[in-house]
Amino acid sequence: MTLTGRAGLVAALGIVVVLFAPQPGPALAGVCLLLAAGIMVDLVFAGAVRPLRFHRSGERLVRLGQRATVELTVENPGSRRVRGVLRDAWPPSAGAAPRELALDVPAGERRKLVVTLTPTRRGDRESVAVTVRSRGPLGLAARQGNHYSPWSVRVLPPFLSRKHLPSRLARLRELEGQHPALVRGQGTEFDSLREYVIGDDVRSIDWRATARRHDVVVRTWRPERDRRVLIVLDTGRTSAGRVGAAPIPLAGAVADGQGGLLVRPAPRPEPGWPRLDWSMDAALLLAALAARAGDRVDFLAYDRSVRAWLSGASRTELLSSLVNVMAPIEAELVEADAQGMVAAILSRAKRRCLVVLLTDLNGAAMDEGLMPVLPQLSSRHLVLVAGVSDPRVAAMAAGRGTAEEVYDAAAAEHARLERRRITARLRRHGVEVVDAPPDDIAPALADHYLALKAAGRL
Amino acid sequence: MAGEGVRVRPEESVPASGGLAPAAGGGSVPTSPTVRSVWRGGRLIALLGLIVVAVATAVVLLGPDRGAQRFLDPDDTSLQGSKALAELLRARGVTVDRVDSAEAARALGGDRLLFAGDTTYVDTSALASLPGDRLIVGFYDLPTLAPNVDPVPEAVRERSRDPECALPAATAAGSAYIGGVAFEVPDGGTGCYPSHEGSTLVSFPNGSGTTTVVGSASFMTNLRLAEDGNAALALNLLDTGKPVTWLVSPDTPPAGDLAGTEGRSMYDLMPAGVGWSLVMACVAVALVAFWRGRRLGPVVVERLPVVVRAAETVEGRGRLYRARKARARAADALRAGAIDRLTPRLGLGQGADSREVVAAIAVRTGEDAQRVGAALYGPSPETDDELVALAGYVDHIERKVSEL
Repeated sequence: MTLTGRAGLVAALGIVVVLFAPQPGPALAGVCLLLAAGIMVDLVFAGAVRPLRFHRSGERLVRLGQRATVELTVENPGSRRVRGVLRDAWPPSAGAAPRELALDVPAGERRKLVVTLTPTRRGDRESVAVTVRSRGPLGLAARQGNHYSPWSVRVLPPFLSRKHLPSRLARLRELEGQHPALVRGQGTEFDSLREYVIGDDVRSIDWRATARRHDVVVRTWRPERDRRVLIVLDTGRTSAGRVGAAPIPLAGAVADGQGGLLVRPAPRPEPGWPRLDWSMDAALLLAALAARAGDRVDFLAYDRSVRAWLSGASRTELLSSLVNVMAPIEAELVEADAQGMVAAILSRAKRRCLVVLLTDLNGAAMDEGLMPVLPQLSSRHLVLVAGVSDPRVAAMAAGRGTAEEVYDAAAAEHARLERRRITARLRRHGVEVVDAPPDDIAPALADHYLALKAAGRL
Repeated sequence: MAGEGVRVRPEESVPASGGLAPAAGGGSVPTSPTVRSVWRGGRLIALLGLIVVAVATAVVLLGPDRGAQRFLDPDDTSLQGSKALAELLRARGVTVDRVDSAEAARALGGDRLLFAGDTTYVDTSALASLPGDRLIVGFYDLPTLAPNVDPVPEAVRERSRDPECALPAATAAGSAYIGGVAFEVPDGGTGCYPSHEGSTLVSFPNGSGTTTVVGSASFMTNLRLAEDGNAALALNLLDTGKPVTWLVSPDTPPAGDLAGTEGRSMYDLMPAGVGWSLVMACVAVALVAFWRGRRLGPVVVERLPVVVRAAETVEGRGRLYRARKARARAADALRAGAIDRLTPRLGLGQGADSREVVAAIAVRTGEDAQRVGAALYGPSPETDDELVALAGYVDHIERKVSEL
């Protein structure tokens, strides 16, 4: 049960009544009894909350940054009208609105309410409880009860880099069938025969076919298809670091001025997105491109154990499967186990493939983790390491003027030197490296993939 | 259109592996406790609470009545009381009468021993003419009961003192725990238990008997009575063969004085409704508190990911450089970064030595070779200003080389 403001108001009026009553003692007893009787009437005649039934429908999948609507149908099988407020409780990062909904369900009927979710975090968000507060006829007291009505919404990665996809697909078509190459080279395979037109390279004339067809026929070539691409996402501690400016604000990023009791000495820079999310964005663009290019894409997320594994998805369903697999992945605050990761890759990729490792090019972590075991991987596969660099470090390195800024610049320069050193070492091992700031990592990785494909190195 | 084939349509696909609980339209389960379940779960606790309250009430009602500690009260058994002394006196055949007002003391008549212990609310001026022996504690009653004794204004520490006098009651008792106030000995009197300032026990004859003034009465309390010669001194002073009028302070100050000119207090003047409406106000506040305090549904908790900015390690290193004034390291990092960027632009290999680099820069940019050498390979800067200047000059070189 609960009371309403009206009960408090009646009691407050009672103060005046008691103050001016000729016999204050009995007046007090009278007002209290009246109030108690009113509350009892309300509690007895309020619509029952317990027999209410709830049904949900609506969206189960939503991309981060978009809105999802979930409908909640309230069925009142009781004998009295239920009038009051309803709260559909979701975790804070689900961004459920409005917080309270007005409810008025006559006996034996049902009503549909709509809750809008604006998630601020990837992963599965599950509804927690439905609370109904059913007012009595006098409006003095209300019955209140909770129901559990399960519903889960999966928040998918936003795939913001899909804006880069058309231009990369156009580039891919240049390499591919629509613009078949006439020169046979490494990494190309036979595509088709066609009639010779003036300007074609005479060396590509297929004389045997020409003899059969009474016409001059040339062979065309296209880049190899059905290569394998394995995208490996490092979900260890380095992937939790936030870089860049968040295109979609995430839960946990405390806005300035809303810090509550904590007094902040200075406005802190916006924390941005975790490296993990930028890497996912890049992985999605690469997967979309590779699927269109006819390659098979597998996906592995690993820190100290396999967090996600996707293999053998058909080309049309690859992206939807991939975002679904990626959605619940969070950065784990443990050091990634590079040896285990390499073992997991080797056990899954039997044939030669392009292993795209999305990680951080962090000197200390790389030296101890990946560097010693990388030769095992690069001897059997083509390895591409992609790292998201921090634009804040670049900004710090350019800082001049005061001694503080120069010290910061020196620290940033130190970090960048370390990064260049590790990049150079990786390249010496025959590993391809893509190092780009958050906004450019997805197109840079896609371009590198296209370059590898054009060079026939897959 | 090129992009259409790969557009993501999340609405249409649910992963084969699942992960979503298929609720099939949802049903619902009420989760609030029913009245019956609350009663079932809470009845044991309610019973225990009831038992605790009952036991506590019984103990309070049936237990011995321990009132406030009353100093020097012959009926008080607490450490501050003096029941032990009163019982000892009665055992020796001395009549002890406890009175709590001047009128009662006068009613008992004269030629007794008047013991003025704690007289906070007693008007002792009415007793000034009462004949007989007197035993007075402290200096409050001196102006009325013993006007010829003057107290020394300084406080005297209470401790065990020796009699050092010829008073038989004191010498027989020996050392006693006394102090508080010291007095100047009046003419014809005896001073015992002296401190530096004066005697803490003074005895002198008045018209109809003997008046004794003591600085403190701690030695007569139940706490101290068994120590030293305290009991002996107290008995010697009180057992004079006369009945004892033991004056104590009444429980409540005499009423009537606080009322106004017409004998009516503020509460009498207030309308009767005010008190009752106050009760009603409490009820109203309680109702409003319950209204505002009742939450609409549970608090939802969520484990949020930690927010760590990746640049924090670099910023921390910068602050460390600053805190330790690590100019050499800072300059080395800046130089190494610049050289790393300059050598490819100058067409030199990774392993180019310092002279080659400096010579190449000097030739290309026309800068002074010595200055370039000092900036890129010279000694570490000595001050922060030198470091800032060095950073600026290295920038200048880089800009010149990149403009080529």
